[in-house]
Amino acid sequence: MRRAIGIDLGTTNSLVAYVDDNNRPQVVPTDEGRPLLPSAVHYAMEGGVEVGASARRRAPERPVDTILSVKRFMGRGPGDIRPEDRGIYHFDETGSTVKLAVNHGKRSVSAVEVSAEILRALKRRAREHLGEAPGGCVITVPAYFDDAQRQATKDAGRLAGLEVLRLVNEPTAAALAYGLDRRSQGIFAVYDLGGGTFDISLLRLEGGVFEVLSTGGDTHLGGDDFDRVLADELVAVHGLDPTPAALRGAVAAAQRVREALTEQESAEAELELPGGRRVPIRFTRAELEARILPVVERTTGPCRQALRDAGLDGRGVDGVVLVGGATRTPLVRRHVREIFGQEPLTDLDPDTVVALGAAVQADALERGGREDMLLLDVIPLSLGVEMMGGVVEKIVLRNSTIPASATQQFTTYADGQTGMVVHVVQGERELARDGRSLARFTLKGIPPLPAGIARVEITYAVDADGILSVSAKELTTGIEQRIQVKPTYGLSEEEVERMLVESIEHAGEDVAERFLVEWRIEGERIISSLESAFALDGELLSAVERAAIEKRIEGLREAMKTMDYLAVKAWIESVDGASKEFAERRMNKHIGRAMAGHSVDEFAGQARPPQED
Amino acid sequence: MPPCWKCQAAVAPEDLSCPSCRALQPEVPGADLFAAFGLARGYDVDPEDLERRYRERSRLLHPDRFARATPRERRLSLERTTRLNDAFRTLREPRPRAVYLLKLLGCDPVAEARTSHDPEFLEEQLEIREELALARAGGDSAALERIAARARGRLLALEAEVARLFAEADPGQDSLIDIARLLARARYHENVVAEAAPRPATT
Repeated sequence: MRRAIGIDLGTTNSLVAYVDDNNRPQVVPTDEGRPLLPSAVHYAMEGGVEVGASARRRAPERPVDTILSVKRFMGRGPGDIRPEDRGIYHFDETGSTVKLAVNHGKRSVSAVEVSAEILRALKRRAREHLGEAPGGCVITVPAYFDDAQRQATKDAGRLAGLEVLRLVNEPTAAALAYGLDRRSQGIFAVYDLGGGTFDISLLRLEGGVFEVLSTGGDTHLGGDDFDRVLADELVAVHGLDPTPAALRGAVAAAQRVREALTEQESAEAELELPGGRRVPIRFTRAELEARILPVVERTTGPCRQALRDAGLDGRGVDGVVLVGGATRTPLVRRHVREIFGQEPLTDLDPDTVVALGAAVQADALERGGREDMLLLDVIPLSLGVEMMGGVVEKIVLRNSTIPASATQQFTTYADGQTGMVVHVVQGERELARDGRSLARFTLKGIPPLPAGIARVEITYAVDADGILSVSAKELTTGIEQRIQVKPTYGLSEEEVERMLVESIEHAGEDVAERFLVEWRIEGERIISSLESAFALDGELLSAVERAAIEKRIEGLREAMKTMDYLAVKAWIESVDGASKEFAERRMNKHIGRAMAGHSVDEFAGQARPPQED
Repeated sequence: MPPCWKCQAAVAPEDLSCPSCRALQPEVPGADLFAAFGLARGYDVDPEDLERRYRERSRLLHPDRFARATPRERRLSLERTTRLNDAFRTLREPRPRAVYLLKLLGCDPVAEARTSHDPEFLEEQLEIREELALARAGGDSAALERIAARARGRLLALEAEVARLFAEADPGQDSLIDIARLLARARYHENVVAEAAPRPATT
């Protein structure tokens, strides 16, 4: 069995951990001997890519070509990026996904590609440290990440040639590291203030079961905001033009001062001005706190909401775990103490605790589960469908334990309506335009009936990674459509393919491994879909025909156990060839059914609920 | 009950996995949500027992145990855990449990509630709502707490009545309709509680 790894893909820093022979999670020293790999990617003019501390050092001199905090752009589409996040970067918004234009526009890269560079670097360090290629991996995401952001993270893992066994919420991972360490029981709050995101989760730990009770947060709130507040002030006070280089310099100086003020009552740093001149700056802790207080206070609302959702007040919590570098700030600790009425626990390093927990979970998944531990996580945001008038009808409610599913019936709003637009929306807001649009598809083939008679059943299913698939079924005809929700601004398969090819030049070593992973996944997909086809339409095959297909499936299974991706690919083709006839017969059968009774022109309209209340 | 899909050994309906080869088994077709916990259909559920069963079964079925299993077992694990979670969400709170049970017994609570007109009850609700609006406008927290407490009391009484009706040896169609009407009333009280003492529902 290969060793599984856990990855904390952070806004500011990333790290990778594994479980050692003594069953203890360990962080892999990655960047220049330190555990933290700065989440910085530099695209050099001559074509190379640098990741980590060396990339971050390029930032002052080549800010536009050095991507920092790329996590803020994950799963975001054009028009979807907040003005304050755009910062100094140049965007290429000509396509359906947002890209960052680097090297004077000669190259444009998506957030997924940039993240994949970071993951690739982590994987390489893990391999060097472990002396062998790592097995499956767990990547952590903020609990508050929506479906598109989760998909993007999984895509990045795939692009980096990793086999992503599971996405785990960051606070849950932290609780895992903490809870297992102390054999704790009771209700724990995990307060996670990272570089760019804030998460609060409440978990119940009992008999090795980690049950997430509620979660909340803000995907645009973090330590970076502290630095930005200070940097804006520096730029204003020194009368600087807010050029990329000036802003970068100011942010760097702000960060140095802020970190120093964690230990000291006052701190000095040098602000490097464009042109190389340096001016000294000085802040006291009180001055810093006065400026960042409004940012820190924005964490209060989500904490109170999470407590209410869990049916608790601050006093019902048995312990508060701190995660994320920004929780070292004394003001943040005082604030946490105020909300929860107790001193937070600080005996684990807030920078590494998430990666350690991810490693524990990755190891458990690789082994087929651990007797003493089970994670029961929840979906952070409600999933709904847009109704007539733009109102959202929630189908799966937030804080539902995953995997979860729910079904609701809808009907047509116009006489003779034969199509229904299903617009999938995520979020708590009442109007679809305020929520996050995840996907839109049209269910066709509804029999032309008077308005309100047809019955369409929409089922949402959320898997253990928190990723949604949607199916819609017309109940009188049984016509069914299923889609895996690909976020509207997500990557198409072709885009992933193209990026994979493009990435080959600087990731030669990963190619064979990636193909193996990909073809194995493809093999599994084919076997599993044939198995369900046998169950559904087995009667379309004679015993001899079925045995012939099954024999090849067996061959494919054997090949998938080897490391030979070409063999896997060949067997897949063989299975495909043998089952082609079967696929055609199935298609005929189902098309025949779907076409029955269609004469009126199809037109699509939005869904509405059957009459109720 | 069909034999094990993997080794063809005999499998009992209550077996989660095959007694002989350990392979995860599919859900029995047509089983209700109570069966997901190995419980018989019925309104009377002990919350602690339900929770214990939920955890026990989660340990056995959860996709985290099957990350490296065959695609078929992975799919079964996902399906069964999804069903278990849905069942737990539906059955752990008395009112969703009652609504589900009514549907199983062939009574549509929404349709029943629509056909029931109880002018007296509605009159009383209108008064309560007026009281509520006044207390909210005046920021009178004592009055709000009093209104919420009264509605909670009504809810408890309704719950007891629902339990009594379900407990009748064989609730006939009339009792089912009564239950549906009680549940419709409960929604009014729930709204009052939510508005008077804002606290999201626990379901």
